[in-house]
Amino acid sequence: MNASAGIGLDEVRSLEERYLMRTYKRGAVDFVRGEGPLLWDADGKEYLDFLSGISVCSLGHCHPAVVAAVTEQSARLMHVSNLFYTEPMARLAQRLSESSLGGRVFFANSGTEANECAIKVARKHAHGRGIAAPEIVSFESDFHGRSYGALSATPALARNEALGPMLPGFRSVPRNDAEALRAAVGPNTAAVLIEPIQGEAGVQPISDEALLAARQACDEAGALLIFDEIQTGIGRTGSLWAYEQTPVRPDVITSAKALGGGFPIGACVTGPEAADVLEPGDHGSTFAAGPVATSAALAVLEIVDDPELLRGVRELGAELSAGLTALDGVAEVRGRGLMIGVGLAPELDAAAVGADLLQRGLVVNVPAPSTLRLLPPLVVDSSHVERAVGLVGESLLGLAT
Amino acid sequence: MRGKDRPEPPKPLATSTAERLAAIVEAAERAAVKVIDDAEEEARDRLEQAEAEAEQLIAGRLAELDELTDSLISQASTVRAQSEQLIASLEEARRRLGPGREHGLDSEPNRYDRQGQEAPRPSHLTAVDPVAEPATPAPTELRPATGEATAAGARLLATQMAVSGSSREEIEARLRNGFEIEDTAAIVDAILGPEE
Repeated sequence: MNASAGIGLDEVRSLEERYLMRTYKRGAVDFVRGEGPLLWDADGKEYLDFLSGISVCSLGHCHPAVVAAVTEQSARLMHVSNLFYTEPMARLAQRLSESSLGGRVFFANSGTEANECAIKVARKHAHGRGIAAPEIVSFESDFHGRSYGALSATPALARNEALGPMLPGFRSVPRNDAEALRAAVGPNTAAVLIEPIQGEAGVQPISDEALLAARQACDEAGALLIFDEIQTGIGRTGSLWAYEQTPVRPDVITSAKALGGGFPIGACVTGPEAADVLEPGDHGSTFAAGPVATSAALAVLEIVDDPELLRGVRELGAELSAGLTALDGVAEVRGRGLMIGVGLAPELDAAAVGADLLQRGLVVNVPAPSTLRLLPPLVVDSSHVERAVGLVGESLLGLAT
Repeated sequence: MRGKDRPEPPKPLATSTAERLAAIVEAAERAAVKVIDDAEEEARDRLEQAEAEAEQLIAGRLAELDELTDSLISQASTVRAQSEQLIASLEEARRRLGPGREHGLDSEPNRYDRQGQEAPRPSHLTAVDPVAEPATPAPTELRPATGEATAAGARLLATQMAVSGSSREEIEARLRNGFEIEDTAAIVDAILGPEE
């Protein structure tokens, strides 16, 4: 047994079955190493990763700049809590604010926690307007996280009565239904909380019409428009933030996933309107804004917030979309930049395709029964795109016959 | 008691005529007063009716003005919000451009140099090669935004895309696909300047 191979898949599975809560169905592979867009399992087999740990490793695996930032900072200072000042936290807040809405930042450890902060901001902002029972409106099939606030804003999961009761004050309307959204927003609305492109739903873009309706309804009601950019942000769609390619500007955005390049971190970023809503005592976190996580995020933004890289994301996204669209068995390709949802022909089982692709050495995700989700690292090149399209084509052809 | 015992002498003719005339004049005056009273009453009725009609008309006009004012306030709020969004985008663009970087002459993409000093940011308005729109058909549920209310949205979209580094061709393609705007030059020229 060599060091990189570890104890092997069978033993890992055995330990997982015995000791971990059964919350995940995992692919049958034990990854031990990664570099750029490539992964290797315990047997040394190579995989092309077009999932990036669900859009987390957007710079590829173990990017040297992120590794250096984490290594250097962790050797110097790992944690002091938010009771004191640290430079990386302050520099990252400046960078996030100046690259987006221009207000203030609250750091968290994950996307769901970033959304919890946004929900608190929205509710307190509403109380400040005299609303006693504030409501938050989302689209059906939005996904905002699994803690109780974020879960309550995630309609499909909030219906799980075994986990109830959910928090009061959340309602949802059908995706892209501008009229229903306008009707749902009223005097008690604290915020509209939506993903500009729904990720877990299978990469479903929200129409310009619906986004404009959300903005207008929020303006009329005095409510906040919150974009969950946890999956769409940090260059995934070909701009640093997905809202930059929409006709609206939100009041609050939440970020996580790719922000830390593999290191856990989340952030809630406001515009001026909501910048001073939270005050001392309203919110907090022991681990958030730690110097290692914020140093990792600074390294990520140093690389991603670059027009040339973002142009490459848009170009490669167009290449990937065009290649996938031309395949037999593909009914529809959705998304923007390198956030791609592939709707398969009805006769194809996406779960079977996903498992087959893993066998063939391509890592993708199956968020819905007929949908593949591709979230490749932003640093892939045309050869990686060509290889991925070829593998998907072979798989679809093999399963169709 | 001389006066009591003697019969009353007949009235002179002149007196009798004068009395009749006085009675006629009195009757005429009474008739005239009645005519005047009737006329005044009718005038009062008409005045009241006219006042009622005027009040009704004014109330209607006030209601219309109230509606119009509400509508104008709502439209002004929307314009203000959209203007604020545009201003915020332009401020963001200015922040991103940094001093001395208005002409896209930069070649260093990193904001912080090796000594940790802040370096001027690269211009996001630098022209880049166009990226072809994916050849995929738009999903049927995504209807293009239309109507006057979306005009500001289209301008904001173009501004934000320019700030984020999109090319003229990309912005124009997005405006055509998302807003059904065929002549995109006016919007894009206002942001990027006229095409050379």
